[in-house]
Amino acid sequence: MIELQQITKTVQSGGRPLTILHPLDLTVPRAQFLAITGPSGSGKSTLLGLVAGLDAPTAGRILIAGRDITGLGEDDLARLRSSTIGFVFQFFHLIPSLTALENVMVPMEIAGRKDAAPRGRDLLAEVGLTDRGHHYPSQLSGGEQQRVAIARALSNDPPILLADEPTGNLDLANGQHVMELLLDIRRTRGATLMLATHDTTLASLADARLRLRGGLVDTGGG
Amino acid sequence: MFVIRMAWREMRWAWRRLLFFFLCLSIGVASIVTLRSVVQSVRAALRAEARTLLGADLALSTSGPWNPEARRVIEGLARGGTGRTRVDLVETLTMVRPADPAKAVSRLVELLGVGREYPLYGSLALEGGRPYSHRLLEGRGLLVRPELLAQLDVSVGDDVMISEARFTIRGVVLAEPGRRAGAFSFGTRAFVDRRDLEAAGLLGFGSRATYRLLLKMPEGDAEQLARDLRQALRNQFVSVRTSRSTEDQLGRELGRAENYLSLVGLVIVALGGVGVWSVIRVFVQQKLRSVAILKCVGGSTRQILAVYVAQVALMGLTGSAIGVLLAAGAVAWLRPVVAAATGIETGVGLRASAVAQGAGIGLIVALLFAIVPLLDVRHVRPSMLLRASEAAPPRRDAVWFGAALGIGVLLVAVAAWQAGSWRSGGILAGGFAGVSLVLLGAGAVLVRAMRPLQRSRHLAIRYASRRVGRPGSQLRPVLLAVGLGAFLVVGVRLVQHSLLQAVAISMRPDSPDMFLIDVQPDQADAVRALLRAAGASAEPELIPVLRARITAIRGKETTLDSYDDVRGRGRGLGREFVVTYRSGLAGNERLVAGEFWPAAPASGAQVSVEQGLAERERLRTGDVIRFDVLGRAIEATITSVRTVDWADARAGGFMFVFRPGVLGSAPATFIAPMRGPAGAADRARFQRDLTVRFPNVSVIDVREILAGVLRVLGSVAVAVTVVGSLVLASGILILIGSISMTRFQRMYEAAVLKTLGATAGQIAAMLAVEFGLVGAASGAIGAAGALGLSWAVGRYVLDLPWDPAFGTLAVALLAVVSLVAVVGVGASLDVLRRKPLATLRAE
Repeated sequence: MIELQQITKTVQSGGRPLTILHPLDLTVPRAQFLAITGPSGSGKSTLLGLVAGLDAPTAGRILIAGRDITGLGEDDLARLRSSTIGFVFQFFHLIPSLTALENVMVPMEIAGRKDAAPRGRDLLAEVGLTDRGHHYPSQLSGGEQQRVAIARALSNDPPILLADEPTGNLDLANGQHVMELLLDIRRTRGATLMLATHDTTLASLADARLRLRGGLVDTGGG
Repeated sequence: MFVIRMAWREMRWAWRRLLFFFLCLSIGVASIVTLRSVVQSVRAALRAEARTLLGADLALSTSGPWNPEARRVIEGLARGGTGRTRVDLVETLTMVRPADPAKAVSRLVELLGVGREYPLYGSLALEGGRPYSHRLLEGRGLLVRPELLAQLDVSVGDDVMISEARFTIRGVVLAEPGRRAGAFSFGTRAFVDRRDLEAAGLLGFGSRATYRLLLKMPEGDAEQLARDLRQALRNQFVSVRTSRSTEDQLGRELGRAENYLSLVGLVIVALGGVGVWSVIRVFVQQKLRSVAILKCVGGSTRQILAVYVAQVALMGLTGSAIGVLLAAGAVAWLRPVVAAATGIETGVGLRASAVAQGAGIGLIVALLFAIVPLLDVRHVRPSMLLRASEAAPPRRDAVWFGAALGIGVLLVAVAAWQAGSWRSGGILAGGFAGVSLVLLGAGAVLVRAMRPLQRSRHLAIRYASRRVGRPGSQLRPVLLAVGLGAFLVVGVRLVQHSLLQAVAISMRPDSPDMFLIDVQPDQADAVRALLRAAGASAEPELIPVLRARITAIRGKETTLDSYDDVRGRGRGLGREFVVTYRSGLAGNERLVAGEFWPAAPASGAQVSVEQGLAERERLRTGDVIRFDVLGRAIEATITSVRTVDWADARAGGFMFVFRPGVLGSAPATFIAPMRGPAGAADRARFQRDLTVRFPNVSVIDVREILAGVLRVLGSVAVAVTVVGSLVLASGILILIGSISMTRFQRMYEAAVLKTLGATAGQIAAMLAVEFGLVGAASGAIGAAGALGLSWAVGRYVLDLPWDPAFGTLAVALLAVVSLVAVVGVGASLDVLRRKPLATLRAE
C-alpha cells in the first residue's frame, strides 16, 4: 500500500545541511497499524509528512497504492490527500472561523460531495460529538477538538490514516479516549494506520513498530 | 459552491475586524455616487428647461443698437413660417437711487427693458404669488429683486430715480426664467418696459447695452433658421443661439464638471483601496494556518485563492452598498444647497447610472487592491502545520510582478473611465502613484531620522521608536492616507491664505477702489471738479476709452469665427478691444521693446501692444494693424511692446494704447479710477450725489465686488476642505482598521511586557509615543507637501506672492499628531485592559 524507497530528507539549518532522515526503505501493507516511535527530533513527524505529501523528500521515491507521488505538483498532492489520506495533527489544526460540523464538511465540499452535511453529522456522532456541531473550536476542549479533527480526517473515507502524536497535547483521560476511537475506527474501516507516538504502551498495540533515532530506522515485526 | 460557502463563513467570522474595510470603501463610493447624482440631476433638469434658460427657441443679441443691415436680414429671414412670436429686449447697467433725497444711497443694477410678449417661456415669479403681467411695467413701473429693497431702504410702492426718470416699484421678483440663482453680476436685476428704458436716456452714445431679439416658433424650425441667420450674419456683431445649442453646451460643461468631480470621489476610493491592501495584507498573514489546513485536506491553490477573492468581492459589494446608503443621505442633505445655488428644487436624487458606477468602482478597486497580497496564498506550504516555523517569506515572482503591472494598468483604465479621457485618467493615476511614492520615500527617510530616539533615556520613546518602521507598524498605510489628507486640507488653507494676502495687497491705501464708467466728454471737467472737491484725488485722472475691432494684420484680413468670441476673453484677435490713448507709460507698465513714442512726429497712427498678447499672436514692432473704431478704419503701426502689471489697478490695463492724435477726435467715453471715501455711509452718499448730477455715469465699487469674491473664495475653500476632510476621515479609518487587524499581536506584546513588570500606564505611554511618531511623520510630510503645493499654485497658476504661513502649518502638524495619537491609543484600550495570562494561554 505504502512504499518508501531510499527516502532522504535534508534541510538547511544555520547555513549548514541537517539530515533529518537518512536513506530509508519502508513498506506498509494494506490495513496494517504501524507505530512510529522515537525521541523528539528523531524524524517521526517528517516521515509522516512525506507520506502525506505535505513535504517533499530530498531523495528517493514514495509510492501510494503503486503510484509514485514524489514528483507530483502541489495541487495533485492536494487531490491525493482529498481522496486517499486522512491526517490527524498533534495540535488539531482546526480552522477557527468554522464550526465543528463545517470543519468536518470542508474536505467533502472540496471533493464536491453533495451529502457533506448529513455525512458530517454522522461522523460527529461517530466520535461522540452529536450536540457540538454548531460550536467553534475555541468553544471546545482539547479532547473534543481532536475528535473533530479525527472526524475530519475520515470524511472522504480515506484508505490511509496518518496521526502525528494525536494524544501529545491531551491529558491522560482524553488521550485514552482518542486512542480508543482511532483504534476502533481503524478496525471497523480496515484503514492503514501510521501513528507517530512517544507512548510505548500505545505502540505495543500496533501490528508493527518502526523505531527512529537520529533519522535512522530500526524496524520490528509484529 | 464550496468557494462561495467558505467565503461567507470566513466573512461571518471576521466581519467586525473587517468593518473598517467596509467603511474605507463606502466613503469613496458615497462620494462618487453623491457627486455624480447631483450633477446628473442638475443636468437633466437644465436640459428639460433649455428653452426657459434661453427664454426662447432662438435668441439673437448684439452689443449696441441693431445694425440696420443686420436687422433687415433678420427680419427677412425670421418673417417666414407660422406660429412665430418675438420680443425685443434691452439690457444695461445703470445706477438707481431712491426718489427721496433724504436717502443718500444708490446702487448699480442690471436693468432689463422688456416688451409686451415677455417672457416667451417660463414666467416671472413675484413675491406674494401675484401673477406677472406687463401692465405692471407700463407707465414707468419697476420690478426689482428683494435685495435692492434692502439696499435702497425702499418698499413696493416707493419711487426711485433711474437717470432723470422716476419709476415706481410695483413688485418684487423672486425668480426669472433663464437666470440661475447665484449667477455673478455687477448689480442686482430690475425690470422695466423697454420703451421706458429707451425714453430714460440711458442708451446714449457709449453706453453699454445689449440688445436681444427672442423668437418662439414651432419645434424643428429653430435649427434651420439659426443656420441661415449665422450664414447671413457672418462678420456681423450678432450672436445666434438656439435652445438646443444651449442644451448641448450646458450638457458638455456639466459633463466635464461631473467627470472632474467624480475624480475627487475616485481619489477617496483609491485611498479606500489602500486601506483594503493594508487590511488584506494583515488578513492573509493571519490566515496562513487556515490556508495550510485547507491545502492539507485537499484544497487546491486555485480553490483557496477563489475563496478569498470571493470574500473580498462580498466585502466590496457590502462596502459599496453602505456607500450607496450614505450617498442617499448626502443627496437628501444637499438638495436645499443645490436649490439655493441653481434654483433647481425638484428632481435632485440618486441616479441609477451614478449608483451603478459608484458601486462598480468600489467593487473593482477592492478586488484590484486585494489581489496582490492574496497572491501570497500560493506560497503557503502545508508542511508548516508539522513544524512550528513561520511560513516562507512572500516571493516576488513573475506572477506577482505581472499581477502588479496588470493591476496598475487597470487602475489607470478606471481613472480614465471616471475622468472621461485617457489623458486625465493617466494624469490622476500617475499623480496618485507619484504622491504615494514620495510619501512612502519620505516616510522611510523620517524613520531613519528617528533612530537617535532609540537611545533615549525614556522607555516609552525607546520602545516606540523601535516599533515604527518595523514589520507590523502602521506607518505605511497611515502615512499615505493621513499624510495625503493633511496635504490636501492644509494645502487648500495655504492657497486660500495666499489669495487673501494678495487681495489685501491689491487693496493697498493708494490703489483705487472705485471706477466711474461711461463719463461723457462734456462731463469730463465737471467730474474732475467733483472728484477734486470730494478729496478723492488732487489731480483726478480720466482715461478715454473706445471700442475697436481688429480687421487686418500685416495686410491679411482677420475672420470673425464666432461673435461669442467678440465679447469673451477669446484668444483670437477678432474680438473687440477697449483701447485708449496717452502720451506716456502708466505707473503699472514697463517698456520691453520699441519706443513709447518715437521722437519723430507720427505720419500715421501708432499703437503699443501688451506683451502677452504680442507673444500669443506673434505681433512685432513694425507690424501694421487695421482697426475698426466705430465704423472707421484706422491703420496703426506697432511701435512698442509693454508689460502691464494687471494686479496694480491704478491705471487700469489696456492691450492696445494709441499715440494721441488719431483718436483724439473720435467720440470716446471716460473711465475715472478713484479712491472712494472710507466710511460706508460716506461712500453711499458720494455715489448718490454723483448719480444725481451725472445719471448716466455708473459706479463700480471694487470693495463690494471684492467682498463678493471673498465670499466665493470662502465657499470654494469650504468645499475643498470638506473633500480634504473626507480624505482625512478615510485615513483615520485605515488607522483604526490597521490597529484592529493587529490587535492580537499587540495584546501578546502587552501581555509579555506586563509579565516582565511594565504597568498599564507605561504601555499606554509606549502606544501614545508610537502613534504620535506616526502622526508626526504623516503630518510633517503632509505639511511639506502643502507648502510645495501653495508655492507651485501661487507661482505657476495664480501668479501670487507666496506667504508660507508657518503658524498655520504648525497648528496643522500639532492637530495631526494629536489626532493620530488619540485615535491610536483609543482603539488600543482593550489591549491595556486585558489580563496577561488569558492572552498567553490563548497564544
